[in-house]
Amino acid sequence: MAFEAMFQPIQLGKLTIRNRVMSTAHAEVIATDGGMTTERYVKYYEEKAKGGVGLAICGGSSVVSIDSPHEWWSSVNLSTDRIIPHFQNLADAMHRHGAKIMIQITHMGRRTSWHGNDWPTLLSPSGIREPIHRASCKTIEPEEIWRIIGDFAKAAGRAKAGGLDGVELSAVHQHMIDQFWSPRVNKRTDEWGGTFEGRMKFGLEVLKAVRAEVGDDFCVGMRLSGDEFHADGLSHEDMKQIAKYYDDTGMLDFIGVVGSGADTHNTLANAIPNMSFPPEPFLHLAAGIKEVVKAPVLHAQNIKDPNQATRILEGGYVDMVGMTRGLIADPHLIAKIKMDQVDRIKQCVGANYCIDRQYQGIDVLCIQNAATTREYMGLPHIIEKTSGTRRKVVVVGGGPGGMEAARVAAERGHDVTLFETSDALGGQITIAAKAPQRDQIAGITRWYQLELTRLGIDLRLATRADEAAIKDLAPDIVVLATGGRPFLDQHAEWGYAENSDESLVVSTWDVLSGHVEPGKNVLIFDSICEFAGVSAADFLADKGAKVEIVTDDIKPGCAAGGTTFPTYYRSLYEKEVIMTSDLMLRRVYREGDALVAVLENEYSGTQEERVVDQVVVENGIRPDEVLYYGLKEQSRNKGQVDLEALYAIQPQPCLAEEGDGFLLFRLGDCTAPRNTHAAIYDALRLCKDF
Amino acid sequence: MLDTLLPILMFCALALMLLGAWRRVSLWRQGRPSPVSLMRGLAAMPRRYLVDLHRVVERDTYMSRTHVATAGGFVLAALLAIIVHGFGLHHRLLGFALLGATVLMFCGALFVAKRRRNPPARLSKGPWDRLPKSLLMFSVSFFVVTLPVAGILPGDVGGWGLALLLLAGVAWGIAEMFFGMTWGGPMKHAFAGALHLAWHRRAERFGDGRSTGLKALDLEAPDAPLGVEKPTDFTWNQLLGFDACVQCGKCEAACPAFAAGQPLNPKKLIQDMVIGLAGGNDADFAGSPYPGVPLGEHSGGPHQPIVNLQGKGLVDADTLWSCTTCRACVEECPMMIEHVDAIVDMRRHLTLEQGATPNKGAEVLDNLIATDNPGGFNPGGRLNWAADLNLPLMSEKKQADVLFWVGDGAFDMRNQRTLRAFVKVLKAAGVDFAVLGQEERDSGDVARRLGDEATFQRLARRNIASLAQYRFDRIVTCDPHSFHVLKNEYGALGGNYQVLHHSTYMDELIADKRLTLGQHKGGSVTYHDPCYLGRYNGEYEAPRSVLKAIGIEVKEMERSGFRSRCCGGGGGAPITDVPGKQRIPDMRMNDIKETGAELVAVGCPQCTAMFEGVVEPRPHVKDIAELVADALVDAPAPATQKPVARPDVLEVH
Repeated sequence: MAFEAMFQPIQLGKLTIRNRVMSTAHAEVIATDGGMTTERYVKYYEEKAKGGVGLAICGGSSVVSIDSPHEWWSSVNLSTDRIIPHFQNLADAMHRHGAKIMIQITHMGRRTSWHGNDWPTLLSPSGIREPIHRASCKTIEPEEIWRIIGDFAKAAGRAKAGGLDGVELSAVHQHMIDQFWSPRVNKRTDEWGGTFEGRMKFGLEVLKAVRAEVGDDFCVGMRLSGDEFHADGLSHEDMKQIAKYYDDTGMLDFIGVVGSGADTHNTLANAIPNMSFPPEPFLHLAAGIKEVVKAPVLHAQNIKDPNQATRILEGGYVDMVGMTRGLIADPHLIAKIKMDQVDRIKQCVGANYCIDRQYQGIDVLCIQNAATTREYMGLPHIIEKTSGTRRKVVVVGGGPGGMEAARVAAERGHDVTLFETSDALGGQITIAAKAPQRDQIAGITRWYQLELTRLGIDLRLATRADEAAIKDLAPDIVVLATGGRPFLDQHAEWGYAENSDESLVVSTWDVLSGHVEPGKNVLIFDSICEFAGVSAADFLADKGAKVEIVTDDIKPGCAAGGTTFPTYYRSLYEKEVIMTSDLMLRRVYREGDALVAVLENEYSGTQEERVVDQVVVENGIRPDEVLYYGLKEQSRNKGQVDLEALYAIQPQPCLAEEGDGFLLFRLGDCTAPRNTHAAIYDALRLCKDF
Repeated sequence: MLDTLLPILMFCALALMLLGAWRRVSLWRQGRPSPVSLMRGLAAMPRRYLVDLHRVVERDTYMSRTHVATAGGFVLAALLAIIVHGFGLHHRLLGFALLGATVLMFCGALFVAKRRRNPPARLSKGPWDRLPKSLLMFSVSFFVVTLPVAGILPGDVGGWGLALLLLAGVAWGIAEMFFGMTWGGPMKHAFAGALHLAWHRRAERFGDGRSTGLKALDLEAPDAPLGVEKPTDFTWNQLLGFDACVQCGKCEAACPAFAAGQPLNPKKLIQDMVIGLAGGNDADFAGSPYPGVPLGEHSGGPHQPIVNLQGKGLVDADTLWSCTTCRACVEECPMMIEHVDAIVDMRRHLTLEQGATPNKGAEVLDNLIATDNPGGFNPGGRLNWAADLNLPLMSEKKQADVLFWVGDGAFDMRNQRTLRAFVKVLKAAGVDFAVLGQEERDSGDVARRLGDEATFQRLARRNIASLAQYRFDRIVTCDPHSFHVLKNEYGALGGNYQVLHHSTYMDELIADKRLTLGQHKGGSVTYHDPCYLGRYNGEYEAPRSVLKAIGIEVKEMERSGFRSRCCGGGGGAPITDVPGKQRIPDMRMNDIKETGAELVAVGCPQCTAMFEGVVEPRPHVKDIAELVADALVDAPAPATQKPVARPDVLEVH
């Protein structure tokens, strides 16, 4: 049986899990109403249960005490009995589909923010400030320690009363328990610090109190780091000693292991490895812990593929694999394996859109699956065939929005033609995938390619759709997703010309796509600070160019996301790319063979010049509206989208109206430049009712 | 002169016939003993012929009527001719009776001849093309020589010339019809066929009975061979049965392996056994050869091995391994020959004595020996598929109304969906059921069909011992192979149970109104009858009735019911995997496609696996249990109860 190792049930304490695949604890940022697991939360997890997951540990960083605020990340609040009935809904939903559900509980200590909500005074073993949240804190007193230990026990009791199957104590990412463990943060000399036993005492007392509260039949585990990756932090050997210490108590039913600490931007990037990392980069750390403990070991981090999961499990490195982002991208991952539809799994590409949103305190969404966490709105993961009219749908543009529109319309049972000017699907994804360590983003296209082939759509590559070609097909619906082009003509002084030989500046697209040769000495001006600028810098430096990337924003790459900019920086610093902030590109002029770029300081107004052989400008995208305005007046709906219906996930009213001619919609960057998720979301919510 | 010569001719022919009969009987007697009652068999024979066999023949009305006229006319004519012309009892009334009989036979023979003018490929040629001429000659000659007896013509009409001509005609006629009957001519079928019916090895087949379970091999008997190596290792009545073949080729036309171009033709196989019985080679076989195997290269004798693994024997091993044991040949055979028994007997020798199970066969048998399941999976994982279902275990409950026999589909991800769907149905109906869990082992079906009787019996005895610990009313299973083996083959080893296929059981649950069902949503549906449910066990109605209950109007395939074409998955055929020109499941899928149905409902894990192995696009494949589970609706909760207990919703069954 293929993937047999994934489908071995496993015993965690008294609890039997139906298979070896889990969703590990992550902050979903969707617990609302004071940290309650309301409908959106339940539906998000229920979809995973329907899709066959064995175990979900929900609620990353769910708090047990009122001085560990839950509001910043809309995390679950276990400090009140009000949570219990919500848990009952959640547990019922999961159990109905045969999955088990636990919750991670924690006190964040210093790893949160104090300015807002109840304006709490943050607590930490020795009152040392935490840099990421700029969190200053007080030194915790023994009375507070015992109160928080009691809070843990009460929280675990609430999880049990709510019918959940277990709790995971978070001792990872520098929460309170591992703040006590770490000599970097715990400088105490009393019984709660100093010696190894002293540093372990808080965690041990928490475990004892929780166990006393919930008894032996309730599953209790602990998640810890396999190595903090700080010179003065806890090493792998330290963590083996700690894991064994708690395992020896016999009170733990499982141990979850995360490679890396997470209390600096750079270590945080390890915790949720993006596409620049190899597969399962920290499996060795989990395997090292497994060597010294008896409890089953759970491990996630870049395990996305069923073959990979099977290999890891068959190798016996760990007992259960977390495929957390894999399940965010495709909650039906397990079901598709069981249905022998492995090729239909929408695989996580490690774009980290989910986690990078979470670190901004906004709800977790998937770059490529717009239905994830929106199940409660009625956005489907599985598109049902229409029982109504079969329509002729023409989609123009093979980028993410166009591909999703074509897929959804074809799943609905319509007759779909997709025009794409270039000879491959993907749109801007194809360009983005050219940068070093960013190739996996092309996985988004790969999935669509497979799906569109399976659905048998009429795919017309290398074909520019004009009005005549579209109207020849006598469409009922035309969806334009024609994207745009780099916005280089915003300032005439930049010297942009359509003919690239005459133009003084080139775009990041030109560079990444290979349309222009890389220069030797390059200035990149990046007003956007997302992916394209730093990708081009990395690409050019990789080809041997000397590169300076300049922005008038805070810093190049600063909008790429919390777990993404660090991996760019690792690469850019290694290649000696210069990153300069606060400079605006004023003018480019030619001087002999060289180009001179005039830069002006945003704050002082002083100007400086760079003499280079290539100037690359990243200034976002200008929508391609030609086709839209050509067709607009001929369409029945004049190209208008009914926003109320769209936002309410309801069918466009014009679909129900009789009439001759076609309906016209546009989505994605050809309307206004946003991002991949926005294009896919618009396509899904618009086309799901075609 | 005719009056003198005719009796001589006839008695000579009859004497030769008796000599031939004695010779033929002694050929059969080379076979091993068989426990049949000779006298009771003979007594039962007329009824078996007139009722049981006629039912099979009657499926082909043209041939049935032709045969009634020809054979009835002949039997009557022969008896009267012996009386009238042999014993010279020239009574006028007898003469008229004989004339009537020859006319009847003549009419029948005309239709025989007509069919021979453009015969279907399945019919053998050669001597069989001669037969209608002989029949006509017999009837015409006796008609003419009887005219004077009836007083229609004077005795001396035509003179010597005509007399000689008539004598020649009679001689031809009786040569074919009398001694040809026992000396190996086409008319042998009448002689051997009648005795075959009398001494059939499966007397249970007659009188509306059904007998499809393989006969157990006595592994303890020191002198009994382990299967059939040479023709004389068959029982004498099996040898007799081979001789009954009329080479009509109905088996050939029904055989999926033959159609797929695999080297098997059941008709040829039976004829090869006849060759083996008497000694010789197959050069004169006048029918379709085994696909891809030229005639004239194979030969054998009663004491020579049938299969020569080093060279060429009577039959190649691949011929025997091509059979899917679907019983289509047996079902079609108007002479009620047991092809599958013979094939399995010969496989037993190859597997047990030669260790020559081809391709994955040996591996599968090793797996069964080591792990009790054919896939070699860790036996501890037998219940993994149900880890989240909290299935009641027999070892804990000790008794239940229904013992749910899971089968080895437990290890197959596709079949797990069927199993889970069926559990959903059982739970929805509130059935008191339990499973054996780790105590269940492979039923032994595949081992037995691959000829490994020892492994079959070991598995069966261990299963019987497990079952003996618990009390249950019935066994229900989603697997027709387990169903058949438990129901029909465990009895000989001491395990007697009431066993139901899940379609039968669901039909019962529906009839008892224990399921609240909505309507099937989705496209049109056809239904494929699994061989081991249909032909082996006669269950054609329950699956259709269940489908009807969820609003499905089955778009029947041309070959359905007892004529259903095998999926190719039975008898270990996918394991021994003998190559052909096309794949059996592809052919069956074409049958399915011809109905235009968007979905084929199945009731067997093998069929499911075979059909899903057909490349897409093709209709979807769903087990009946899945369709029923999908159609389940939540029963409205009684007003006094809180509506909490929703049945399990299993998206991926």
